Amino acid sequence: MANDNILQVEHLSKAFHKYQVLTDVNYNLPKGEIAAIIGPNGAGKTTFFNLVTGYHAVSGGTVTFMDKNITNWSRHKIARTGITRAFQVSNIYPKLTTYENVRQSVLAQQKKTLNFFTPARKLARNETLELLDITGLSEFRDTEAGILSQGDKKKLELALALASKPSLLLLDEPTAGMSSEETHNTMELVKRLNKEIGLTILFTEHDISVIFGYARKLSVLHQGVLVAEGTPEEVRNNKEAQQCYLGEEI
Amino acid sequence: MPAALFVLALILPFIVREFWVHVLNEILILGLFALSFNMIFGYMGQLSFGHAAYYGVGAYTTGLLMVKANWPLFVTLPISMVTAGICALILGYFCVRLRGIYFAILTMAFGQLVFYIIFQWYSFTGGDNGLQGINPPAWLFKTNPYYFFTLVVVTIGAIILWFISESPFGYTMRTIRDNTERTEFIGINVQRYMLINFVIAGMFAGLAGAIWGPFNRSVAPDLCSWQHSGGPVFMAILGGPHYFLGPMLGSVIYTLLNAFVTGYTEYWPLVSGTVIIIVVLLLPGGVLGVYKEKFGHLKSKESTTLEHGGS
Repeated sequence: MANDNILQVEHLSKAFHKYQVLTDVNYNLPKGEIAAIIGPNGAGKTTFFNLVTGYHAVSGGTVTFMDKNITNWSRHKIARTGITRAFQVSNIYPKLTTYENVRQSVLAQQKKTLNFFTPARKLARNETLELLDITGLSEFRDTEAGILSQGDKKKLELALALASKPSLLLLDEPTAGMSSEETHNTMELVKRLNKEIGLTILFTEHDISVIFGYARKLSVLHQGVLVAEGTPEEVRNNKEAQQCYLGEEI
Repeated sequence: MPAALFVLALILPFIVREFWVHVLNEILILGLFALSFNMIFGYMGQLSFGHAAYYGVGAYTTGLLMVKANWPLFVTLPISMVTAGICALILGYFCVRLRGIYFAILTMAFGQLVFYIIFQWYSFTGGDNGLQGINPPAWLFKTNPYYFFTLVVVTIGAIILWFISESPFGYTMRTIRDNTERTEFIGINVQRYMLINFVIAGMFAGLAGAIWGPFNRSVAPDLCSWQHSGGPVFMAILGGPHYFLGPMLGSVIYTLLNAFVTGYTEYWPLVSGTVIIIVVLLLPGGVLGVYKEKFGHLKSKESTTLEHGGS
């Protein structure tokens, strides 16, 4: 297969006991793309992310990332290889400050977490401040992350993911809980990262304006099956896609 | 603040009676034991209920080497840290696969295993007779010199642990405590890090045990028992597990109380039990936790993180 695909998923299936959540999904993601996976709740979008990032064990099929078969690798190993994710429900360190949250992710990326004797506060300063700046969290740097607003927690999610310097960034509903202004800023940041450093981005989203405003490739999941794929225009005109998801909205 | 405490610890032996110098010595040794325990409890968020095993292994290593091989104390101290560390590495390998109550139960089971090995192995450990005649070198033989020796060892141990707690590794422990799952997704091999921390905690428990033997002139299998593992749990909760020196403060209160109460009555467990109930119900976060909450915001910003524990 062509090597310009950063992620190749073949015949991917997942069943929880007897409940089939994903069935024979084939998916290719070209390097440098901004793509979205859409579908109604329960379609299997988050499960798809969970399988790619090693959160759940795969029931069948393979996941190939940058020509490496990473199927069923452990979570931290996949993260180190270059796939990071921001979670749908914010998944942060509530007792640490915003700054400390991001700093830890930076330190992990810099492989400095086995340093036992340098005070952590002296390390990774510039990188951390820069990430807080671009995600718009600078004013909350000393705030305990647990008391941030929902929208700011999602920004912190993004900052934690970006700190890992990924090649592929998975965003699970990155703008859920954000105001329309925050949504705009966040997606513009994502777009800029894609353009400036060539970061490949795959996201899920319910907000139609975000989907059609930012994704260049759309894939529609319905009941665990990939039913349509193409450019936003193609998907918009696809009968099957309209039936299962887009429906009356288009 | 720690410097003031250190000076106080230097002066006290010249003021109080010899009995209380013994008590102070005990406070320091058990305090180091509790600080090492808190690396697992307060920082990593897991409850080890078998931490006395590593304390006991340290105590027996020094005891056996001094009594049976006549090795000098200064050589046996680092060796005790190594043996306790190896023991923690082997047992911790299994424990770090578990979390929460399962972690607590397995550490306790392994702790009891170590206890029974020492208890039963008469030919080597002296079984329930323990080991007697663990005498420190002549210049440390009297109460005060040994106390100062303990003070130096415990201070060095505490400083090393403090540095570790403030290092990137220490903060990785906090992220594992706050959100284990997320820590994996930023690329940390959580089990390996937990094991390293378990070994560090075991080594410093071993160091505390190693200075106990010559202080007490003997060691007994009780040092490894699950009851003895309860001590640091109590001290950390009492003093404040989210502050670096919390367990040391817990040791001060616990050990002083013990010394007072046992002077009047045999019913020490009745008193300690009552204290536990009071602390759990009225002092969530321990003495330091409540103190910081009540008075902390008078000073600059204080948070519930461990940031200010050692400063």
